[in-house]
Amino acid sequence: MASNRTFTSPALAFELVARCSVTRARASILTLPHGTVNLPIFMPVATQASLKGLTPEQLEGTGCRLCLNNTYHLGLKPGQEVLDAVGGAHKLQGWNHNILTDSGGFQMVSLLKLANITEEGVRFLSPHDGSPMLLTPEHSMSLQNSIGSDIMMQLDDVLVTTSPDKARMREAMERSVRWLDRCIAAHKNPDTQNLFCIIQGGLDLDMRRECCREMLARDTPGIAIGGLSGGEAKDDFCRVVAACTELLPDLKPRYVMGIGYPEDLVVSVALGADMFDCVWPTRTARFGNAITKHGVLNMKREMYAADFGPIEEGCGCQCCRPIEEDGAMGITRAFVHHNAAKETVAAHLLTLHNVWYQLNLMRQAREAIIEDRFPAFVKEFFGNLYADRSSYPSWAVDALKGVGIDLLAT
Amino acid sequence: MRFEVLKAALKDGAAARVGRLAFAGRTPIDTPNFLGVTSRGALPHVTPDNVDKHLATTGAFMALEDFIERPQQYLKRIPPIYATPTTKKHSTRLHSFTALPQSVTTVLNTRRIPAVPSPMGNTNASVSVFTSTGFQALTTKEYLSAVQTLRPDIAIPPADLTNSPITPNSKRALRMAERTDEWVVEWFSELSESSSPPTTFAPILPISYSIQWEYVSRLAEDYLPTAQLSGLAIHDPDLLPDLAEHCAPLLPLPRLSLADPRTPHHILRQIALGIDLFALPFINTISDAGLALSFTFPPPPAPSPENTTAPGPQPLAVDLSLPQHAASLAPLTPIRTCPCYACTAHHAAYVHHLLAAREMLGWTLLQLHNHAVVAAFFAGVRDTLAQGGPEAFEAAARQFALAYEPEFAEGVGERPRARGYQYKSVGGGEGKRNKPAWGKLDGEGAEGAQAGEKGAEV
Ligand SMILES: [Zn+2]
Ligand SMILES: [Zn+2]
Repeated sequence: MASNRTFTSPALAFELVARCSVTRARASILTLPHGTVNLPIFMPVATQASLKGLTPEQLEGTGCRLCLNNTYHLGLKPGQEVLDAVGGAHKLQGWNHNILTDSGGFQMVSLLKLANITEEGVRFLSPHDGSPMLLTPEHSMSLQNSIGSDIMMQLDDVLVTTSPDKARMREAMERSVRWLDRCIAAHKNPDTQNLFCIIQGGLDLDMRRECCREMLARDTPGIAIGGLSGGEAKDDFCRVVAACTELLPDLKPRYVMGIGYPEDLVVSVALGADMFDCVWPTRTARFGNAITKHGVLNMKREMYAADFGPIEEGCGCQCCRPIEEDGAMGITRAFVHHNAAKETVAAHLLTLHNVWYQLNLMRQAREAIIEDRFPAFVKEFFGNLYADRSSYPSWAVDALKGVGIDLLAT
Repeated sequence: MRFEVLKAALKDGAAARVGRLAFAGRTPIDTPNFLGVTSRGALPHVTPDNVDKHLATTGAFMALEDFIERPQQYLKRIPPIYATPTTKKHSTRLHSFTALPQSVTTVLNTRRIPAVPSPMGNTNASVSVFTSTGFQALTTKEYLSAVQTLRPDIAIPPADLTNSPITPNSKRALRMAERTDEWVVEWFSELSESSSPPTTFAPILPISYSIQWEYVSRLAEDYLPTAQLSGLAIHDPDLLPDLAEHCAPLLPLPRLSLADPRTPHHILRQIALGIDLFALPFINTISDAGLALSFTFPPPPAPSPENTTAPGPQPLAVDLSLPQHAASLAPLTPIRTCPCYACTAHHAAYVHHLLAAREMLGWTLLQLHNHAVVAAFFAGVRDTLAQGGPEAFEAAARQFALAYEPEFAEGVGERPRARGYQYKSVGGGEGKRNKPAWGKLDGEGAEGAQAGEKGAEV
């Protein structure tokens, strides 16, 4: 059911709030079984039902209302039996907001060297005992039904986009469509959990378009663009996103899987994408890195040893706000430096800051779209990130030019 | 500082007592009570916001050796903590640098507890301390200046200790007493000029009273009347009866135990000897072992003698790594009324999962729970003392000894990734204890690389 601004399906409502008058950027409201989230959105990754040392309460404090869990990991630990016994992943981790899960397929291919894909599913050796196992679309659905995620992803046949094997790429794309049909048939809770399709097709735009048409015909409540962030050139990445968003309906959420660098998020929003996830912000926190509007700063560097400023000046996170404000911690770079790689607390603090940064970047983009000043926001963002225009990455300049923003114009 | 003894035993000498230790601007500490033991200025695994929100712990023990390393490439650098600016809300450098809530009372010592023994030993003018960059000499003068710069609520002067389980021979013991005596004399003489001298808890050494009597008498005769001495930092509580017998004027002072009691049984014994305040490193160790403390004071009522199916002594802690907790939606331990964040917002199954998955949050939740259990234990001790006096306390302590096992189980779970140079000389190394993590094919070292980071984080 769709009006000209809203789309509803049994477990999801999508409302388009505003559109950038220049680019393809959109601001919208997505209502899921565990509450409403504003798009565009960055979703932090709580791989094993925990976001790297943050309590669910602290994660909530960053403003996060939708995070990821990984099906493959939860299938191993705590396992489906325990998930069923405790009543799903929300109960397991004490998280009353939304959860998105992947299909589990990608992890098999990326974590396990010996994964082997057939029409039946993904074959791999159990990391527990080395015994052969098989992940089928049906099994992935069954696991995600046990997890109870608000958004489930179809099992897809993932191939690195840079694979030169065109025949294999076509096979993967077509198989992903067939697997979507099997996923839809196997999905037990369509009234309480949303199943998103994943568009494949590598870097071949025609194949991507063909995949879009096939997937859209299955009418899932949301659409993901998959197979990216595998090491392809950024220009190619942007071309694929742009080719897909061009064909996608206005009134469904669009999720670009696995990206998280701030530039990638901002450009992808301009290209018309709404949802993103990546482990980079939380992983890099554990290496002592703080994401700021002026770039990534490594707090382990000696220059921060006696730097008593906040992690990022002007940041609104709990770590950075001045201590005199309510609920603020007054964390200094010096303290993070002092404990980076020595006490877990330093990683927790940087994780809090980085997650807040990513969520806030998307909040700011959304406000800019609603106030129809998104192009100015994009220019300011790149202006903060680079010392001068000559160092702007050409892929971003080109991609933004394609949607009407000339970063280099004065 | 203000220390009031609210209820003490009527008998002479040192014994269990109820009191209140208060510093301006800090939450008063009702005694007997304990301090959280920090590592590098942080309560392990607990960020300052969670300390503020979820811990009833009102004091923090810190060691200067955690802040003064000299990195190889920057040998001349002045420890950054000395330059920390203060703010209205964080009015001391120690609070400001560590971002600990202003309500928390801070105690500064030269060394951690337990301290890693130094192969170099101390000199007449310095203590050998262990930093993240190795052993180095901390001069008594530098320590004194650090105390004045950092302004902890309680400062413990340097003590000449071996930090070894072997009892020093009498010659070494005598030198320990003489050096500590000289250092304490230097301490008070330098501070006599200070406009706001720190509150000083003088160390009482873990050697017999007969060897350190001159030093202890000096404390009582020279520094008690001048109010320069505010409390005692006791390395061996078994000296308290001697102290009571020979140095009665010292008795009204608050007594902090640095004796590292291993279990609540040891704590109760030290309370009975007259300890008011404890630094308790075992709580952090227990959390790292995946154990959730599960004792209360007073203990649950003893089963009636005719009940033949009565269970034996209960474990002091629950090992949440064990498989029976995998699907348990109950609080972490049989203490069903534990008010901690972990027990109220989460359940045993989650902590079990986090430990099995080696997720850092497991240790965070255990820290919140374990500190809450110890806080409730001390509240129970104070109530028993206040309401029933020492007799009721002794009776409940006897019952506690029967109700609970004497020691902690080891804990089958894997410890947090070895994060501390601090631990390398204690406890035998976590590297060997833990199996390698599975599935790390994408390489932990791929710093900053986004390729292949789609999806999951292990
Ligand atoms: Zn921040
Ligand atoms: Zn608890």
